[in-house]
Amino acid sequence: MSAFWNVVSAELFKLVRKRRTYVLAGLWWLLLPTLVLIVGRVLVSNLAASFANEAGGVDLLVQTIASPFGIALIGVVGPAYVSPPFYVIVVAALAAVLVGEERSHKMWKTILVAQPSRPAVLAGKLVTAMLVVGVLLGGALVSGIAFGAVGTLFLPTTFAGAWGDLLRTYLLQWAFSGAIVAFAFLMVHLARNVAVGLILVFFLPGLLETLYTVYAAVVGFQPINRFNVFLQGIRLRQVLEDLPTYFFTANVYAPARAPVRELAGAFTAEAAADGLDLSGLLGSNITLERAALVAGAYALLFLALLTWRFLRADVD
Amino acid sequence: MPAIVARNLTKRYGRAVAVDGASFEIGRGELVGFLGPNGAGKTTTLRMLAGLIRPTAGEGRVLDERVPGPALRRVGTMIEEPSFYPYMTGRDNLRYAARLHGGVPERRIDEVLDFVKLDRASDKRVKAYSQGMRQRLGLARSLLWSPDVLLLDEPTNGLDPVGIAEIRENLRAVAAEGVTVLVSSHILAEIEKLVDRILAIDHGKLVYDGPLDALVHRLDADAVTYHLRASDGPALLAALRALDLEPVPEGEMGARVTLPPVDADALVGRLVGAGVNVLEARRQVDDLEGAYLRLVRGDGRPS
Repeated sequence: MSAFWNVVSAELFKLVRKRRTYVLAGLWWLLLPTLVLIVGRVLVSNLAASFANEAGGVDLLVQTIASPFGIALIGVVGPAYVSPPFYVIVVAALAAVLVGEERSHKMWKTILVAQPSRPAVLAGKLVTAMLVVGVLLGGALVSGIAFGAVGTLFLPTTFAGAWGDLLRTYLLQWAFSGAIVAFAFLMVHLARNVAVGLILVFFLPGLLETLYTVYAAVVGFQPINRFNVFLQGIRLRQVLEDLPTYFFTANVYAPARAPVRELAGAFTAEAAADGLDLSGLLGSNITLERAALVAGAYALLFLALLTWRFLRADVD
Repeated sequence: MPAIVARNLTKRYGRAVAVDGASFEIGRGELVGFLGPNGAGKTTTLRMLAGLIRPTAGEGRVLDERVPGPALRRVGTMIEEPSFYPYMTGRDNLRYAARLHGGVPERRIDEVLDFVKLDRASDKRVKAYSQGMRQRLGLARSLLWSPDVLLLDEPTNGLDPVGIAEIRENLRAVAAEGVTVLVSSHILAEIEKLVDRILAIDHGKLVYDGPLDALVHRLDADAVTYHLRASDGPALLAALRALDLEPVPEGEMGARVTLPPVDADALVGRLVGAGVNVLEARRQVDDLEGAYLRLVRGDGRPS
């Protein structure tokens, strides 16, 4: 076996023995679908026989969220909409185990003697993180289907759904997670302390993006008068629409947010027809292709910095 | 072909010099002690040889390859306090290292655990291990892939006397199999019982490289101390003073005197010739600690 696969094998061996791996899996595979099933059951109990369901709206809603397809969809969409996104929590926890704890347990001096090839060590750890993210995502898909199947026994749901699109969403979100993995590894490696590294992973991108948004909005902002107020408003809206298209956080969850964005796009299209175009503010102007380019660029940048730093760092 | 070569090995941290142009060679199968007070540069030198830190200047070579490089796969190390994943058992920590290295069969894990007498505690989590058990597990891990070179930094730290003796026996057994061992320590008694050759470092500079006996005797070359006892103490002191020596009384019948080595052999004969009834004459042999202290204090430093 090559040095690289030796590292992957060792890191998987370690992660299997780490309790937090099972906590993350439990939250994603068990807690989330259980909550969705409970919500579905409550909706049916309280509203199925009411006037609200005269046109079948409640049944449609329950099918949308609590069917096998619906729960599996929520498994990939939901984690992108909590704050901080569950994806970043998962990746940061993995980075803490794979990179951060090596420093806190003083394990680098052992690892880099057992496996002196630093490129193999870094690549092995990154690939291990991606594999585990893939397993957790795949598990969310499977558990969503399994819980949804159980739900069909007591809910008015079926197995109907756009399964091909869902699978594509899962695969894309897994691929986009590479940028989050690269970022988390870089931050945790740079920080001398695991806790500081995690705080950086969770909050630094949002903080920098917010600060830059404020800066970009303020720069060039002229005193408002009755003549320029309209133009200033347009400029501000343009800034707020355009900036997120370059932001890390707006792009790395793009696949998972796409289904909701499509829904938002349909909604704002009606508003746009009435002369109120809100699509940009809701982020629906970020296409998956563009998001892939932006996320890829971020991933390359973070990987380059991480590799440069890791290969030349002295080990304490 | 030497197993370990350091050529002008230097490490600076800003303006501070941790290791200053250390050069030495260690042959295959040698068991060499690396002596130096805390902060002398022992650990930094070992880290450079293990490829963990990059030298500012010079180079380290292990098994005829520059470090860092593939030859490090044939090196076992235990640098400073051995570190482990506390949530894993001792055996799992070894399994992790074995997977990382590759090519280590499961039975080898049993062998090294048995070798360091940790086989019965191997399924306990490391967080429950004592300091001594961690040291043993660290030694077991350093032997896991049957290395050709062992770099050990203070391997007996925190061990009780029985543990120290056991580790010493282990290292002798390993060296007997042809493994090159460079073992650092600031506990001189430990090194004295283990090795034949010494590298001594002080303030980052290598101040001695040679046989253990030569270190002791070389430092003995400038002056020799005798402890003498005679039936008449005052007569002994008077006779020594008559020989232009400066005796220090030791009890009623004894005296201590330091003199140039060239005069030492004739001392007792001259005292007898002066009519002194010499009951005992004992030459003080400098032990390693004395020799070492004189070395690092600059007193009697070899030229």
